[in-house]
Amino acid sequence: MLSVAIFLPLLAGILILLVRREKFSKMLSLLTSGVVLLLVLSLFLGFDWSKAGFQYETKYTWIPTLGISYHVGVDGMAISLLLMTAIMFFASFIWSWKVEDRPNLYHALFLMLETACLGVFSALDFFLFYIFWEGMLIPMYFIIGLWGHERKVYAANKFFVYTFFGSLFLLLGIASLIAYAYINTGQISFDYAFHKNFSYPLWLQLLAFLLFGIGFAVKIPMWPVHTWLPDAHVEAPTAGSVILAAVLLKMGTYGFVRYSLPLFPEASKYYIPLIFILSLVAIVYAAMMAIAQTHIKRLIAYSSISHMGIVTLGTFASDINALNGAIYMMIAHGLSSATLFMSAGFIYDRIHSYHMDDLGGLARYLPKLAVVFMISGLAGIGFPGLAGFVAEFLVFLGTFKNFPLWAFIAGTGMILSAAYFLYMYKKVMFEEETISEYRLEKWKYLKDLELHHFVPFVLILACAFLLGIYPLPFVKIVEQTSRYILGG
Amino acid sequence: MNWNAILPELFLSVGTLVVFFLELFLSRKHYKLLIFVAGLVPLLSILSLFLVQTPTQAFFGVLYTDTSSLIAKGLIYLITGLSLFASYDYFLKKSSEYGELAYLMLLASLGLSLLVSSANLALLFLSLELASITMYILIGTFKREYLSKEASYKYLVIGSVGTAMLAFGSAFYYGAVGSLTLRQYAQDNTLFLLGMFLILSALALKVSSVPFHFWTPDAYEGAPTPITAYISTAPKVALYFLLTKMAMLFSQIGGWMLLVILLSVLSMFYAGFIAYSQRSVKRLLAYSSVAHAGYFLLGIVVWDKLLNSAMLFYLSVYAFAVLGSFVILAVLEKRENFTHHFMDYKGLGRHDTLLAIFLSLFLFAMIGIPPMALFIGKLGMFAGLIKLGFLPLALLFLLASIISAGYYLKVIVYMFMEGSQRKWQKAEVSVGEAFVILVCAVFVLSLGLFPNALYDLILKGL
Repeated sequence: MLSVAIFLPLLAGILILLVRREKFSKMLSLLTSGVVLLLVLSLFLGFDWSKAGFQYETKYTWIPTLGISYHVGVDGMAISLLLMTAIMFFASFIWSWKVEDRPNLYHALFLMLETACLGVFSALDFFLFYIFWEGMLIPMYFIIGLWGHERKVYAANKFFVYTFFGSLFLLLGIASLIAYAYINTGQISFDYAFHKNFSYPLWLQLLAFLLFGIGFAVKIPMWPVHTWLPDAHVEAPTAGSVILAAVLLKMGTYGFVRYSLPLFPEASKYYIPLIFILSLVAIVYAAMMAIAQTHIKRLIAYSSISHMGIVTLGTFASDINALNGAIYMMIAHGLSSATLFMSAGFIYDRIHSYHMDDLGGLARYLPKLAVVFMISGLAGIGFPGLAGFVAEFLVFLGTFKNFPLWAFIAGTGMILSAAYFLYMYKKVMFEEETISEYRLEKWKYLKDLELHHFVPFVLILACAFLLGIYPLPFVKIVEQTSRYILGG
Repeated sequence: MNWNAILPELFLSVGTLVVFFLELFLSRKHYKLLIFVAGLVPLLSILSLFLVQTPTQAFFGVLYTDTSSLIAKGLIYLITGLSLFASYDYFLKKSSEYGELAYLMLLASLGLSLLVSSANLALLFLSLELASITMYILIGTFKREYLSKEASYKYLVIGSVGTAMLAFGSAFYYGAVGSLTLRQYAQDNTLFLLGMFLILSALALKVSSVPFHFWTPDAYEGAPTPITAYISTAPKVALYFLLTKMAMLFSQIGGWMLLVILLSVLSMFYAGFIAYSQRSVKRLLAYSSVAHAGYFLLGIVVWDKLLNSAMLFYLSVYAFAVLGSFVILAVLEKRENFTHHFMDYKGLGRHDTLLAIFLSLFLFAMIGIPPMALFIGKLGMFAGLIKLGFLPLALLFLLASIISAGYYLKVIVYMFMEGSQRKWQKAEVSVGEAFVILVCAVFVLSLGLFPNALYDLILKGL
């Protein structure tokens, strides 16, 4: 069933390219992503968090000479991320209902992207993982490059080259593990379980951690390899930004939890200072950068970098609560950043500008947007009752136990996050004094959220509320992974 | 006399002669038929490969055929057949239907096919010359065009230097060893080292590695594009299979490793940077070929099963990606006034979507994006290099790959993300070209997902 969910979108995408009818493309992608959502939801509901290890495993021999197999399976973290991914794609397809520019190619690329994203989170074989990991590159490249804004080519190329840079390091890391295992056992194997039970010497761990780490860090993105993200977000179309922020960024942190922590336990301890410094710089510096922005999408992009810093902080704090929080944060940030980007995209659709100077007083003209924008922002800054709060609370709780000073400094990032969001909200939604009469006159006829905007918002924000108000079952599910990794 | 060993070559020679006579008597009207028959000859010779029992030898050990040379021969024949199929329409449209093309290409393949099973420097020299001289002529096929003549002349002059180096190196080798037979030679002897150095340089010239690459961009650009497709693939396949064999024999001698690493690193980086300043897609692909020469040379730094098999796999699938992309370039070139300048590629994604998609498939494959097969070669080479303790080399390889990604993307950007300013007529794809492009795409994709068939064969051959 897991495999069906992974490959269904790819098949639908190919079908769309063959048929090339606009209505058909839209209906089929909505239907496919809906079916995938239902499939993943049923897997999620059937998931047994009290059992350790991977569930719904499927394994077929694929390339015996190289020890490669088709091996998929999920644990608590993976199933949660899969569910979030499925929700995001479903929401993006609803959101893209009115796309006019080359709709067939657009939907086909998104469907291929969905396969790659679902695959990354469920692959248990290095080779398979890498194929999915890189498979997301080409669709996203074209999504940014073809449907983006003015500097789309620059942003798309920057995105591609940065990500490719990271992935090659990841590939080298994988190759180093394979080569080491081959020298010592005479057996080539790409299987995750095989390598997890293999204990590597410290020098190899240190080396491979760095190689894997560069690959993941570019994708997260961690400071100082974060510069592609603001450009990519600014230029990407709304649905592209949503997927980029909600799903693609999580691949990096997912990689850290899935690969770096269990495969290189000693190296993970060794590099704690490095990771912490980078995370803190990301949290504080990116938050300060966010305050300085006037472009709303760029601001949200920097806020993403800041929040991903919290995830990496929690991942390596060697505490079960912090790790739970980090995984929870991946989901929570996915939900909040998606709706923030949707709000920004909606504003651009109506007013054709992302710049705060051109905006102001929108709360009067677009009241429904004002409400959802506020809730999204609050979810992002960790307001109690919403998903972000639970995540941040767990991360800081866990980190504080072992590293009180680091946790304290990271905490200032939270204050800054409230500052930049409220500042943006004020500039965009209130402050109409700065806007010319002529504009305000025109804005009287602005159309508020339509149905295809409203449904994704409600869907995602409902999840954010659910995760914020009743987090227990979800924490239990992600804890299944943390226990497995930290051994408790 | 063991006829079995030269069965494929015999088959090819007879075919070549048949085509030669056909060309004499068939009129120009039947040009298409002639090329088609010529294309069938190497494809049929592939069948004869199955009759050869390996390992086998002929002419007192001058010719030695093992499984790996059979694989190389199969690839060379396949590429020759495909490039012939892809060429007829191009030459018809350019109204220069020279029938010579057909048997010249077959002769070149005959030379290359002898090259991969030569176990003696004399045969190596002869077969390489047979291939090279026919290729000089092939490049100059457009005898009325200045560029084509210049390319041919340039390749001739520089290629002759290579010939001289090879001959001179063989002489030194003979002086040191007392025989022209290629075999292991443990003694550290200056004469021998000098001989190896010259021979390696000559082969490096033929695979267009820096600093012997100067003929490459001009020859590739000036040659008729279907010929470029051929000269950028088949000789490469033959030479790397030969180099692997030489690595097995000579890689432990002092200086081999250093020299190969030097050649390879220079090629990777020099070509990577120069490619950025190109304005013509055809030249850009020529430089990409130089960069790839660097990657492949990394695979013969030492003789190791994992590394060599990965390199040969990489090479084999790379040949199909290159063949496919040059055939697409040939299709585009059939249009009036098309120059391969970037500006001519603007908006290709809009009006010739399928061609643009296939070209970007091949370009993405050359970047090394999965699931295209070239990525498996890259991964295998990474693993091999690390296994042998060459981590710095692996890192250099990685850096060069990242650098290369940028210029391939440039082509894709022009094709898809820029609107065209000129009105082009729709590209006409002949049946042959369509077939070749499809076959190449299928190979590149399917060998990426199921590399077993080829990989096992290569491993068996080593």
